[in-house]
Amino acid sequence: MTEAKAAADRLVKAKRLNALLTPVKELRKSLTEQALAARPTGVLYGMPVAVKDNICTLEFTTTCGSKILEGYRSPYEATAVAKLKAAGALIAGKTNCDEFAMGSSTEHSAYGRSIHPLDKARVPGGSSGGSAALVAAGAVPAALGSETGGSVRQPASFCGVVGIKPTYGRVSRYGLVAFGSSLDQIGAFGRSVHDAARVLSVISGRDPKDATCEDRDPLRLPTVPESLQGFVIGLPREYFPPDLDPAVRRACDRAVRLMKEQGAAVREVSLPHTQYAVPTYYVIAPAEASSNLARFDGVRFGPRADGATDLRTLYRRTRGEGFGPEVRRRILVGTYVLSAGYYDAYYRRAQQMRALIAQDFRNAFDRGVDLLFTPTTPTPAFKAGEKLADPVAMYLSDIFTVTANLAGLPAISLPVGRVKGLPVGGQFIGQAFLEDEMLEAAYALERAVPATEEA
Amino acid sequence: MSVTRDDVLRIAQLAELEVEEDGLPALVDQMSRILDYIAQLSPATGSNGLRPFVPGPDAIRFQPDEVKPWPLAFGPEKFAPAFKDGFFVVPKLDQFE
Repeated sequence: MTEAKAAADRLVKAKRLNALLTPVKELRKSLTEQALAARPTGVLYGMPVAVKDNICTLEFTTTCGSKILEGYRSPYEATAVAKLKAAGALIAGKTNCDEFAMGSSTEHSAYGRSIHPLDKARVPGGSSGGSAALVAAGAVPAALGSETGGSVRQPASFCGVVGIKPTYGRVSRYGLVAFGSSLDQIGAFGRSVHDAARVLSVISGRDPKDATCEDRDPLRLPTVPESLQGFVIGLPREYFPPDLDPAVRRACDRAVRLMKEQGAAVREVSLPHTQYAVPTYYVIAPAEASSNLARFDGVRFGPRADGATDLRTLYRRTRGEGFGPEVRRRILVGTYVLSAGYYDAYYRRAQQMRALIAQDFRNAFDRGVDLLFTPTTPTPAFKAGEKLADPVAMYLSDIFTVTANLAGLPAISLPVGRVKGLPVGGQFIGQAFLEDEMLEAAYALERAVPATEEA
Repeated sequence: MSVTRDDVLRIAQLAELEVEEDGLPALVDQMSRILDYIAQLSPATGSNGLRPFVPGPDAIRFQPDEVKPWPLAFGPEKFAPAFKDGFFVVPKLDQFE
């Protein structure tokens, strides 16, 4: 009970960030009820975990940051949420996000932009920016986000916290509102690798409600290694281009030096199709989104547009008024690339490129590399409004994260330094279902790197 | 690959999405830029000889995709905009192409 009250108080203090969508009164009441019902033997007993607003909960509304689902209360909860509750965690409200997880700044939310906890003029990243901001501000020790192209790792990097994207199939997608079904995964934020990993361990594992969830036991947490002796870390040269922000490069170079000092063997590798990852992603993700979001038409969920006297007008008006500009753009692009005459030119080619990108990773791992290390983002957090008018510039902030989603691989971002006070993230990309190995390396680097010092 | 105003309106019709006249010029410009950007894939992919991509890593084993009735905490009357006698209520179908 004390923890429930303290959690609510911390979340209220973080209100200036516009990171929490749940009204305070409702949050306090629910946390008290959950604390009474929580299992004292659960491994996360009493731990408040905030949940991105595109993950269904019974306690709170699920709006996906969109007007089209304003006030929507799901009749079921996500498996990840059910597993958290079964482990004794408290669901600490719903967090702001880019509408339907489409964005890299949390500026595309119908409920206003979220604020970076260290600089109010900047964005916390996105699309899971609300979750990242609340963890960074110390309002919750951990939060759930979702990843389609980097939406956990990119905001984790911007806000200076840890963000994990599991292997595709490691965590059930049941109850995660679908955006790009072949890419989507629920991920975890934490103030430390251990906090994020504990949450991931609890939400992972088989689920009969999701056919794409692997029939596999939950992730077992590794122990913290003494050193990185025996690890071979690959540095993909395409992720360290000449125009990389010099401060980001400095922070990553320092992290690499520390890994070597801990005994890791570091070698340069090549992932030659990396330059095509963002255009590939921006064909596949909108194509899948245009199909997945067809269900939001004013018939079954959320509010509908007033005054439509025939069905087609109802569909068009509800969707036109309910979706924001970025979602509308992506639905249109997705519809275009799937339409007759353009399918081969765009969608088929993007699927071919996706296979080549996945093959790049296989080649690197087949040559004896255990993990890849890269910057998480090309720059630290950018200013609000800076990229809003140019969608392609916004898309490029995901350039180092989308590849792991395209290939279905696990990845983790952790803070590796600061630049003029702003956090910089470094990323490990691991082999499929070898999150334990990736976490071992992250534990070791986290212990060695002065994450809050200027690089 | 530029698109025209008419292209955007046609796509919007396919997507069942109302687009406001005021926002059309910006949308045409932004879509053209996005399509130009993704067009760089065309010369890069080469032959059709690649195996099709399956979502997730090679190692993944999907479960049988079976439809089962999972119980809901409450019925559609609580979340649908209009629901009566077990049906979702919609306006009449008028000139549906």
